[in-house]
Amino acid sequence: MFQTRQGNENPSFDDRSAMANAQRGAVFVSIHVGSTGLPGTARVYVMSDLPSAPDTNGLIPWDRAQAPFLPLSRRLGDMVQGFLSQRFKGSPLNAQAAAVRQLRTTAAPAIAVEIASVSVEDRNILDRMAPGIADAIARGCSGFRPLYVVAAVNPGDRP
Amino acid sequence: MNDPTNTPMNPRWRAYLIVMLAIAVFIAALYVPVLRRRLHQAKDVPTVSEEQARRELTQPSPTNPNGPVAKARMYWSAGARDGSLMPVNVDLPLAMDPAPRGKQVLNTLLAGPIDAELRTLPPDAVLLAFYMLPDGTAVADFSEAMATSTPSGIQSEQMAVDSIAKTLEANVPQVKWLKILIHGQEVDTLAGHLDLTRTFLVNAKATPMPQSAPIQKSKGAIPDSTNPLAPPLKGGAGASSIVGAKKPIAPSQKLTPGSAPGKLTPPAKNP
Repeated sequence: MFQTRQGNENPSFDDRSAMANAQRGAVFVSIHVGSTGLPGTARVYVMSDLPSAPDTNGLIPWDRAQAPFLPLSRRLGDMVQGFLSQRFKGSPLNAQAAAVRQLRTTAAPAIAVEIASVSVEDRNILDRMAPGIADAIARGCSGFRPLYVVAAVNPGDRP
Repeated sequence: MNDPTNTPMNPRWRAYLIVMLAIAVFIAALYVPVLRRRLHQAKDVPTVSEEQARRELTQPSPTNPNGPVAKARMYWSAGARDGSLMPVNVDLPLAMDPAPRGKQVLNTLLAGPIDAELRTLPPDAVLLAFYMLPDGTAVADFSEAMATSTPSGIQSEQMAVDSIAKTLEANVPQVKWLKILIHGQEVDTLAGHLDLTRTFLVNAKATPMPQSAPIQKSKGAIPDSTNPLAPPLKGGAGASSIVGAKKPIAPSQKLTPGSAPGKLTPPAKNP
């Protein structure tokens, strides 16, 4: 596991993507607590559609690095969301699509997990969710791994 | 010599005093819950911020108030805390031209529903300008408060953009795409998560814009020369959607810098 930030730093979106993109065969998981949503639930987001116009030089444009990985990201997102919905009642059953900035420049299967929410009066509620969140992500990644090994041979190819 | 202040109180007066005090306490006990309720009600009444008041004073009315009143469909939060939106019909004297019409409905959206809890956009945000480009892209330029006061999070930011896009789709048939600017500038995200460098699909089957009108601006919009959007929209990576469709990319459009970036080389950092 590689963390893109260790503390209360604020690396840019591109810096975080650069760290993730430098890893081989990795998946990218962004975790944060949202401002809204049903308290005690967790939602997984994957990038909504991006144009993947082929470039003549064969390189992946930085601004659309996520495009070739969208199908894999959706699979990973659905798997993690499935485990989260079992753990946290009221969570959606499937991952949702959104134009998440951090995911756009990530050249790997990438998801964002949003936990609801900062509006809870007792911070312990969020702390108690942490093990379940970690477990769901771990199980999702574990279930996803066989799919990714095949795709990792040529990540630019869409399955 | 007797000090009059040391004179013991008449027992009868003492009894009266005790009874009066007891009555006062009883009345206070009855009245305190009423006061508390009124305080709660007063707290729920949305206060008009300086920016809201300024907006009401400075926003020119883009329509003829004597024009026919139509039912505009606004999309505010459904209140389910799952990011879903609910259509609400509002009677408005809607303009016929897409730019002033779009500005009207977005200002109504910003003004918010009766129940402030169902707002999707921050009350302090102001629509600074609203343009229509010939390709059907609506450009909505909001004040800084749109970015600083929208609750941070994917769901809340997505709900804000969805409410704008759906409201435009329902009321301005010429709008195909939506581009959001903050104070005339393209920004990375709305409030830290949602990507605003892209355009959002509003209506894939939008009515084409009239050919004779290259750029339609609503009243009070900034001059063309200051519109920072036109070049990026033509050549930028503005092909995206919120509902899954893709904006076709013209062959002449360049989506990567002229010099090859190398294998996933990050762009140069902004200062």
